[in-house]
Amino acid sequence: MESEDDMHDANDVDSLEDFYSGETAMASDDDGDGDYDFGDNESDGSDDITSHRQQNYTILSEVDILERQEEDILRISTVLSIPRVAATILLRHYNWDVSKVHDAWFADEEKVRQAVGLLEKPVVQFPKSRELTCGICFESYPRDKIYSTACSHPFCTSCWEGYVSTAISDGPGCLSLRCPDPSCGSAVGQDMINVLASEEDKEKYTRYLLRSYVEDNRKTKWCPAPGCDYAVDFVVGSGIYDVSCNCSYSFCWNCTEEAHRPVDCGTVAKWILKNSAESENMNWILANSKPCPKCKRPIEKNQGCMHITCTPPCKYEFCWLCLGSWSDHGERTGGFYACNRYETAKQEGVYDETEKRREMAKNSLERYTHYYERWATNQSSRQKAIADLQQMQAVHIERLSDKQCQPESQLKFITEAWLQIIECRRVLKWTYAYGYYLPEYEHAKRVFFEYLQGEAESGLERLHQCAEKELQSFLNLDGPSKDFNEFRTKLAGLTSVTRNYFENLVRALENGLADVDAHGASSRSSSSKSLGGNGKGKGGRGKGASCRSSGSSRNLEDTDHWSCEHCTFANVRAVTTCQMCNRHR
Amino acid sequence: MANSNLPRRIIKETQRLLSEPAPGISASPSEDNMRYFNVMILGPTQSPYEGGVFKLELFLPEEYPMAAPKVRFLTKIYHPNIDKLGRICLDILKDKWSPALQIRTVLLSIQALLSAPNPDDPLSENIAKHWKTNETEAVETAKEWTRLYASGA
Repeated sequence: MESEDDMHDANDVDSLEDFYSGETAMASDDDGDGDYDFGDNESDGSDDITSHRQQNYTILSEVDILERQEEDILRISTVLSIPRVAATILLRHYNWDVSKVHDAWFADEEKVRQAVGLLEKPVVQFPKSRELTCGICFESYPRDKIYSTACSHPFCTSCWEGYVSTAISDGPGCLSLRCPDPSCGSAVGQDMINVLASEEDKEKYTRYLLRSYVEDNRKTKWCPAPGCDYAVDFVVGSGIYDVSCNCSYSFCWNCTEEAHRPVDCGTVAKWILKNSAESENMNWILANSKPCPKCKRPIEKNQGCMHITCTPPCKYEFCWLCLGSWSDHGERTGGFYACNRYETAKQEGVYDETEKRREMAKNSLERYTHYYERWATNQSSRQKAIADLQQMQAVHIERLSDKQCQPESQLKFITEAWLQIIECRRVLKWTYAYGYYLPEYEHAKRVFFEYLQGEAESGLERLHQCAEKELQSFLNLDGPSKDFNEFRTKLAGLTSVTRNYFENLVRALENGLADVDAHGASSRSSSSKSLGGNGKGKGGRGKGASCRSSGSSRNLEDTDHWSCEHCTFANVRAVTTCQMCNRHR
Repeated sequence: MANSNLPRRIIKETQRLLSEPAPGISASPSEDNMRYFNVMILGPTQSPYEGGVFKLELFLPEEYPMAAPKVRFLTKIYHPNIDKLGRICLDILKDKWSPALQIRTVLLSIQALLSAPNPDDPLSENIAKHWKTNETEAVETAKEWTRLYASGA
């Protein structure tokens, strides 16, 4: 199919290799950099949603992190012939980038030593005397009670202990601790920390060192899920940012919000801000209240007549419509329920500005609420599906296996269906944020988008229904049913159809619905045809979708577009065949 | 009490401050609290603060010398790195503090700050802006303030 080739071009090639092949082994041996490729992300086979793509990241446990860190340190230490401690300091300074350390070191070793504080010979000479004066407490001590870094600035044990413990309790800055002498930059390494710090502080220091390896490294990040200790090593520049941690949390590696394909990180940030922003409250207040003309407190009118009395202590009586004092009102001005003064003034255009603003705020609030509600509903629906899946795996699968006399391995299609539902709910949820930010003036795109979304919704409903209701009927049976195999075929089929549809949907949206822009280019439009077409075996359009599309087609009548009766695609006036489904107008 | 367990370092520093004072600087501990110092710094020559006598207070916190001393101008001063409460923006009083620094070095640094105001790292936005847009006028104001508030009268 030509369209498939199109998609290969449009996206990162490597992610698509085994797009349709289901669970192939993922042990990729890509560009040597991350030589670890654990099979263990995939081996349990339960998280096959991610397994359709070739993985461009590795999940690291604490043990893995320590192992990698140790390996890097050893490598630097061997190649540069420097002690382990010095290698650690160097690596930390260069954010654990081995090749950067190499480059810098071999370009100008002296300069690097200066910058990092790895001195080769002492800055000061100890005087010949048997006692030395500590530079902090000014006391004299025998030599064996005096410590110093490579610079030889003398400080006594207890002052060092104080210095080190203050630095460690100040935070991760202790990893680049220097000699206390303000003019000296000599580094204090972990070997000294181990001698001078308390057990508790040593522990903290080691912790900071581990964290630094993840946090300062461009290629790694912690999984943001609460209580999760895994880190993710990511092949930077590989395009798709979605990461699925071993703790089952999916997140975006780029912005560390939850996974949000097909919406980009910027939109997600805007949307999250919007959901939390006080500005929505302000919009609400603006749309649904008016300030008391006297004390300026906002008043919501939720019932009753136009005669408003502000709450004490203000108690100002005024007319809701014209905001004038009630004492000027009466039978003559329209009584309690109307206000002639307002009507006249409105006709004269006096109230236009504020009224318009209030009206606009109200509209924008309604629009936002529309998308937010649907976004939130899919979110909770997804949570429910996660709980259902757990219940399924914990109880139902076993029961079903008993009753239908099927080995559990033969029931994997049920888990797969539920995982697909969870993934689809996530995608569908984010399409609402996408829709909210899709500009109003992009008529064709909006129509197309709503069509795709409607299809996605009804496809998912069908799958969800099948996995929930139809499965239930088998759970209620006492013995094996001959219909079970048919059910298996149906659910597995729905799962795969829905998966394809959603994968294509994600790609189309990530592509900015570019097909809509290319009105004339028929090769392009055939790729989007496959989008709708992939959901074969579906009986017609979902109700929601058809309502919506007929609504929007009405809007389009007056413009330069005509809306296809069959697929609702908005075509330019000039063409007579639909660009989407090739049917005649 | 604060005085009963005074570290040797503080005692030694105090003795040296009194016996060999740095030029233009005097610091003497308060009688009832040896961690509290009354400080006077003379306005450096060829600075807008020349001829002024500036009073400061300096306090050595419990953690001293692991933590920096707390220093504040008591005399009103027109300076981009000193705000109207007398707080001073100086790196060694914050993240660049080292226990190998001393009261003496801190006060010398403050004296140097009077000679070389740094409007690029301001504490007082308005004064810094004044300094950057019209330095001559700002210097005039600083001289005026020195005469008004730091003439020692």
